Amino acid sequence: MANPAEIARALLVAAREGPAVASCTVMGATDGVEVALGAKMLVYEDRNLGEIGGGPLEAAVTDFGRRAIPKHLVQTCAFTPDGELVEGRRAIEAADAIVEILVEVVEPAATLLVVGGGHVGLAVGQLGAMLGMEVAIIDDREDYANEDRFPYEANVICGDFGEELERFPITANTYIVLVSRGHKVDELALRSVAERGAGYVGMIGSKRRTRTVLQHLAEEGIEPQVLDKVFTPIGLDIGAETPEEIAVSVLGEIILVRRGGGAQPMSEHGRMLASIRR
Amino acid sequence: MPQDEVYEAMSSAFDQGAPVALATVAQTLGSTPRKTGAKMLVREDGTFVGTIGGGCGEAEVWQEAMDALEDGDARMVTVDLTEPVDGEDKICGGIMRIFVEKLEA
Repeated sequence: MANPAEIARALLVAAREGPAVASCTVMGATDGVEVALGAKMLVYEDRNLGEIGGGPLEAAVTDFGRRAIPKHLVQTCAFTPDGELVEGRRAIEAADAIVEILVEVVEPAATLLVVGGGHVGLAVGQLGAMLGMEVAIIDDREDYANEDRFPYEANVICGDFGEELERFPITANTYIVLVSRGHKVDELALRSVAERGAGYVGMIGSKRRTRTVLQHLAEEGIEPQVLDKVFTPIGLDIGAETPEEIAVSVLGEIILVRRGGGAQPMSEHGRMLASIRR
Repeated sequence: MPQDEVYEAMSSAFDQGAPVALATVAQTLGSTPRKTGAKMLVREDGTFVGTIGGGCGEAEVWQEAMDALEDGDARMVTVDLTEPVDGEDKICGGIMRIFVEKLEA
């Protein structure tokens, strides 16, 4: 049995270095259900640390936690003591016995890799930093890739795009934005990162330009499934014009990919409900 | 939102053999300042790390955390932000359920 100090240290490692872990805590139960309030179990992709009482409940929570990791989920869930997930307020209220489990994925801050230190790259990096991402910016021009240019915490890399990208560690927690000075560089960058399992790859450009780039890479033999995952033209359609607005559109898309959502005005839901009720 | 500050504070408290109280937002309803998973760690001397939402209900939760350090009981605290508590027009208008527990190495 893992003691709280061991769990705390494991959480700190997960938050600092990874790998991601789903921390599962027993937060409550209906009267009569025997559980240890506050019992905590860390679910890694391949093992657990700690326990929440064993049995079918622990097995179900383990399974749920494992599936929560790629979704970056933070959510309180209701299970029956037999380990059945109960969803929806009505079902939870109707159930005889419920155990409440907080499932929270703990992982290092996401990395935002910005290729191109121009006006758009500058704004994208700034907004990423504001959102708590670890920002890295690559450019091969010293005027654009120097620390003075970026009034926020960023790892500014000046060097050859191909070499620097090859060296840069990319994981499922890396979000890559290609906004360099031209589509030639974007193409080179996309070639370098497309098949390396990033959480997101987006490339700026008009429909025509971006299609040409994708065609070139397809001809070179990069799998269509890989190219299909590239977000290009980049960003959500919010009519963005200025570099800062484009940054909002791009980071909006990244949040959408990370968290999931409808990408509609919230008020649309209200209007839909109103029309159903009428 | 990375929580590493909270975990670091927890880890170093345990290294010193000191208990802490951890308050975690378990559930939110309506418009609340922080979402599920937000954390505040409270030490025995009353100092704290992290936030579960600025002024909105935080003082109340801090008191519960101090009580938990005293009696050792885990508890669920409901903070209702829908009523203006002191005549101020607070912008948060939701309900938060916050799990408060004492942890020690």
